[in-house]
Amino acid sequence: MTMNERTITDLQKGGLSKPLTASGNLLAAIGLWVVNLWRPPLEFFSDAVAVIWQSCRPVTWRRPVRSKFVSQCYEIGTRALPFIMVTGIFGGFGIVAQSLYWLEAFGGKALFGGFLTVVLVRETAPVLVSLIVIGRSGTTILVELGTMKAEGQVHALDAQGIDPFLYLVLPRVMAFSLSMFCLTITFVAVALVAGFVSGTLVGMINLPFLDFLQSALGAMGSKEYFLITAKTLSIGFVVGLISCKTALSEVDRGTDLLGALPRSYARSVLATLLISIVLTIFF
Amino acid sequence: MSVVLEKQRKVLRFKDAVLTTDPYARTVSEALNLEVCAGELFLIRLGRSDQIASFADVCNGTIHPLSGSVFFLGKDWRYLSPDVANALRGRTGHVFFTGNWTRSLSVVENILTPQLYHTRNSRAQLLDQAGHLAESFGLPGLPGGLPGDFTAADLQRAACVRAFLGRPLLVLLQEPTRGLEPDILDPLIQAIREARYRGAAVIWLTKEKEIWKDATIPTTQRYHLVARNLMEEKL
Repeated sequence: MTMNERTITDLQKGGLSKPLTASGNLLAAIGLWVVNLWRPPLEFFSDAVAVIWQSCRPVTWRRPVRSKFVSQCYEIGTRALPFIMVTGIFGGFGIVAQSLYWLEAFGGKALFGGFLTVVLVRETAPVLVSLIVIGRSGTTILVELGTMKAEGQVHALDAQGIDPFLYLVLPRVMAFSLSMFCLTITFVAVALVAGFVSGTLVGMINLPFLDFLQSALGAMGSKEYFLITAKTLSIGFVVGLISCKTALSEVDRGTDLLGALPRSYARSVLATLLISIVLTIFF
Repeated sequence: MSVVLEKQRKVLRFKDAVLTTDPYARTVSEALNLEVCAGELFLIRLGRSDQIASFADVCNGTIHPLSGSVFFLGKDWRYLSPDVANALRGRTGHVFFTGNWTRSLSVVENILTPQLYHTRNSRAQLLDQAGHLAESFGLPGLPGGLPGDFTAADLQRAACVRAFLGRPLLVLLQEPTRGLEPDILDPLIQAIREARYRGAAVIWLTKEKEIWKDATIPTTQRYHLVARNLMEEKL
């Protein structure tokens, strides 16, 4: 076979010149299954390490990357504030008022602080805010990056020496992480204020506001502060990376977006719940 | 008395490079040997748009030839670290066939982003340079809106502005006159001339025979990439 008659596939296959035996085929099938099973999580882990490593390098934060980070913080964080505050008001009314009502009914009002810390700050707030951010910003990122990939804009950036990983993925993931933390703190603050106001109005709370805060947050120790920080930062990081990675690795044409959207949403929600449970178990 | 003739610096060099010029035929081309030196303009005609994009990709190292090497400024793209390769790509200017514009950024941001990413030139300085280039390409000023707000012709002129901004060492033009009136040729040739004087090499890729045969374009070489080989053809 001359050089001209070789196909691209032949060249890419490399040195496989002899056909495989039956046992060889079986081994190859098992090997392929194992590789396919472990490749996605390993790739995701390596991408996560790469984002952390690259974000620590000053040279990564060039002007367009900094600008993109700021604009993403605005898109993911600031623009979500009104929705998070409204959700916080409803959530606060429900959680605080119901906690007080039932604790009083069972004579455990003294446990209010610890109960609220567990229910609102440790468990509900990070997961609820994450679900909102996934729906609001995760899908936006997926569509935006997926369209860029499908239309060749990502390739054009690459050809100009602008690393798509540094310019598109890293600022979005970091902004997702930071915004998740800030939005969760906002949610907790609004929920407590809403709970206090609603509880006072219906006569369930007879404390001054500062005493109420002391009762609610006084039960929080350094472990709780660490937990809410770790949960929100890690959930934001993972959800942002899932959205970016799904868009850039699974979308080649515009029509691929239709399949990628529910996949990305399901992965993000599962990751949120998994991280929340694992961190709760360990801390 | 001996005279030493110094050859121009090689900007781009194909050494026995076997290209995948035709993704559908699944055949490989003959090994290609080509040198593009500083100050040269190569006008290369290819059959289809995807071939133009693939050839440009091989030139800037985003895809590698099946065998052989492509050197940019004496360095083989294949063996460069991502950081170095990206830094070198920062010294190239492009007019792309597809994907010219990031739709969420304004056109002016699209024009400035590669320079802001790769250089320490101030924004004001870059805006000034880009403004002059925009005027030379027949635009009333730098287009400030989103890419969707402009006509294809205006965007193509803006793409030329981006390609020549920031003293690139290699300019890759993929059908730069596509969708434009013939009056674009004069400013484009002038911009190419100035880039060549500064020591840049220019590769103009087209599939249009009329452009390829246009004698007013001051080329150094004209090539026609046929099925399996790069043929030099005289006008």
